[in-house]
Amino acid sequence: MQTKTAFSSKRFLLALMLCACSIILLQNDSIAADTSFTSQLIGIFAGLSVCFLLFLPAVYIKTHFDRDVVSLVSDSLPKLKIPVMTVYACYFVYTALYFLLPYTEMFHTKYFPEVSPCLITVLLLVCCVYAALKGVNVISRFGVFLFVFAMVTNFLMFGGSISELDWAHCTFALSGGIGEFFQNVVYFITPAFVIPIFACLSDSTQNFRLRQPIFALLFTGLKYTAVVFFICFALGDYARRQGFQTFLLSRVAHFASFAGIESFYQGLSTMSVFMIVSLLLCGITRSAEEGCRTKAIPLFAALILAGDVIAATNNSVKEILTDPTLFAAVTAAVAAVMPLIGILIGRKSNEQGNLHSIKHTGAAADGLQRLASD
Amino acid sequence: MKLEQQFAESADLTIRELTLCSASAIGALVITMEGLVDKQQLAQSVINPLLPYDFGNQSPDEVGQSIFRSVIASADAKAFSTMEELVTYITSGFAVIAVDGASQFCAVGVQGFAFRGVSEPESEVVQRGSREGFSEPLQINMSMIRRRLKSPGLVFEQMTVGSESQTQLMLCYLQTKVSQELLQTLRERLQACDLETVLASGYLSDYLEDEKTSRLFSGVGISERPDAVCGKLTEGRIAVIVDGTPAVILVPRLFVEEFQGVDDYSNRSYYAAFIRFTKYLSFFAAVFLPGLYVALAQFHPEYFPTQLLIQTSESLAKTPFPVMTETLGITLVYEIMKEAGLRIPKSLGHAVSIVGALVIGESAVTAGIISSSTLMVVATAAICSYVTSTLYPPIMVLRFILILVGGLTGLWGITLATAVIIISVCSKSSLGVPYMSSLAPFSLRRMRDVFIRAGWKTLGKHTIRVQKFAETEVRDAD
Repeated sequence: MQTKTAFSSKRFLLALMLCACSIILLQNDSIAADTSFTSQLIGIFAGLSVCFLLFLPAVYIKTHFDRDVVSLVSDSLPKLKIPVMTVYACYFVYTALYFLLPYTEMFHTKYFPEVSPCLITVLLLVCCVYAALKGVNVISRFGVFLFVFAMVTNFLMFGGSISELDWAHCTFALSGGIGEFFQNVVYFITPAFVIPIFACLSDSTQNFRLRQPIFALLFTGLKYTAVVFFICFALGDYARRQGFQTFLLSRVAHFASFAGIESFYQGLSTMSVFMIVSLLLCGITRSAEEGCRTKAIPLFAALILAGDVIAATNNSVKEILTDPTLFAAVTAAVAAVMPLIGILIGRKSNEQGNLHSIKHTGAAADGLQRLASD
Repeated sequence: MKLEQQFAESADLTIRELTLCSASAIGALVITMEGLVDKQQLAQSVINPLLPYDFGNQSPDEVGQSIFRSVIASADAKAFSTMEELVTYITSGFAVIAVDGASQFCAVGVQGFAFRGVSEPESEVVQRGSREGFSEPLQINMSMIRRRLKSPGLVFEQMTVGSESQTQLMLCYLQTKVSQELLQTLRERLQACDLETVLASGYLSDYLEDEKTSRLFSGVGISERPDAVCGKLTEGRIAVIVDGTPAVILVPRLFVEEFQGVDDYSNRSYYAAFIRFTKYLSFFAAVFLPGLYVALAQFHPEYFPTQLLIQTSESLAKTPFPVMTETLGITLVYEIMKEAGLRIPKSLGHAVSIVGALVIGESAVTAGIISSSTLMVVATAAICSYVTSTLYPPIMVLRFILILVGGLTGLWGITLATAVIIISVCSKSSLGVPYMSSLAPFSLRRMRDVFIRAGWKTLGKHTIRVQKFAETEVRDAD
């Protein structure tokens, strides 16, 4: 069951970081082909900088009010709770579909062509429902193990690919058009989907510091850089022929006669999707009561499944749902607008003295001071 | 008469009637249970001093007082007044003296029942360290702990469970180290135990487990070694000693403890670290090896190195069953043979070994019923599962599940099942303390006694304590 116990914010951010890192495992054909490594690097920096800016309103709420958007809105203006939760629920369902569709397609195409992709989704969602019922605290504990697994996997993949690096073609010249550059920036904004999760579920975390999201984004950037570096200098055109990022490094990763390291990467992508969807389900049912939550989580999982079935049978729906530009735009809107609404309501309520239970009773300066000190 | 009725005139209830030497010839009864008392001690401590003693003109109550203060030649004497206490004392091997007309009874400790001596526990054999193991009587087990922990902070708190068996148990803890919150929770759970009979410590395990958490792994530890129990007490854990069983319960129990052994703390730290590593490796091999083998052989044979792939494929091609059925079958046969080996008389044990090794093993491979590679994988997993024998039940269950999952869904299913298993274990708690403490929630400082065993100079610097903090994590108390 979900617990109300406060748990380490560091651990929660670690879980979110793992979710953010996993983007590069799942999306296909998202990085513009005609851009150089340097251009992609700048794209990563620009994209993650935008993510950081989008993070600030949610961070402000956490540092100043020591709660998340949902609880702040619930306490300040209860009327607005349902609309806010509806927006978040719609966004989380959309995000779940955005990640599930390419993931199930990948496994269907590569490993289980005779099995319906919906069956893969059903099995995955059943597991996610179980995890979501256990709560955010437990999922964040799972993140500790996933982090270790991710470290081992990355070591194996990149370590195995070192021998394939073509240093002769290793140049850092800037090339590629502005359109491609923006395509990359939009793609690298995708990790911002963790911001609504943070904004929705950070109420029960403690000891939050600004450096935690900064480190999470830095680490994500490092992971992206490593992947694009190997794509540019070890794989070349081979990478362009791969349908899914997960397979990018697979064919070059080998230690002696030991093949199959790619299975680690696919294992990592499976566990990442599992964690993302579980967290999203927790977020959707964030404000539900304990009794309702056990019913709401399977209900929303069924909704996601229905969306998945519709998208699987209707290609245009699938195109819309998996469009990275649309996803980045919606993510940016939800990540920035909802916490800003929360801040406005919270401050107004604070001025009127309605928000009795604010833990930091001081003015906004307190929060800013803490941000500055971090 | 009331007592005789209560015991339904049971043959082992012995009531000796005496007439005391006093002016009014007051009568007295010496009540014992046959077989629970040492008759020689009874005669020396009770009967011999009682009969010649002149009580003069004392009233019955005064006679009772005099017996308690002046007559009884035993250090273990207690005065009480209720029938319930009377029953408890006589069934615990005391001799109870009841003076006609007195309001109080006197119980004298003359226990003399036969019990197994102190011997080395077979399930927890150590190379270096004490050879003593707990025995069945409560007092002897208590003395073994007290001998090792001479601190006045060591507390034995008596409780009774089982409405029929009235089993005595002792909560044992170090007052200075234990969390009062954990202690209170434990008391409440034991008080909530509504069993009629408690014959072994295992009966209480279910009552001590946390509600709504996975029951696959046990959140209740068991030890038969007094040195191991003392070590756990110093970390703030609570021991529950149940009368009549050498298995002492220890709570809270954490996952990492399953891989710690008494020998680790006697051996060199680098060797202890290596042993820990082999234990973790064996655990993962025991759980995952058959499942992974099935998944790889059935769905991803290309992951095998070429030579191994050729040999495995050749071996599997000769057998009539799919690899999943074959692995499940051999694992099941192995479990049956294991159970037979445990229950069979020792004289027949060799026959079972021969049947197992030759008939089921070699002959089945030669006949082409099972493949040698499958047999080897199952045998390796079976041996690995005994390295951490306390985890055998969950290992067995998980092994079967993963074989099925691997055979039906390949590596993808194994990955997903692993995620679910981790979630399940992470959600488990023991007396409110997360079962996976030290790993998740992660504690860097506690790592000095998880995968490795740091030297004593490092370990001795900080005392590790299991406590229920605000985040219900294990922390160090320093």
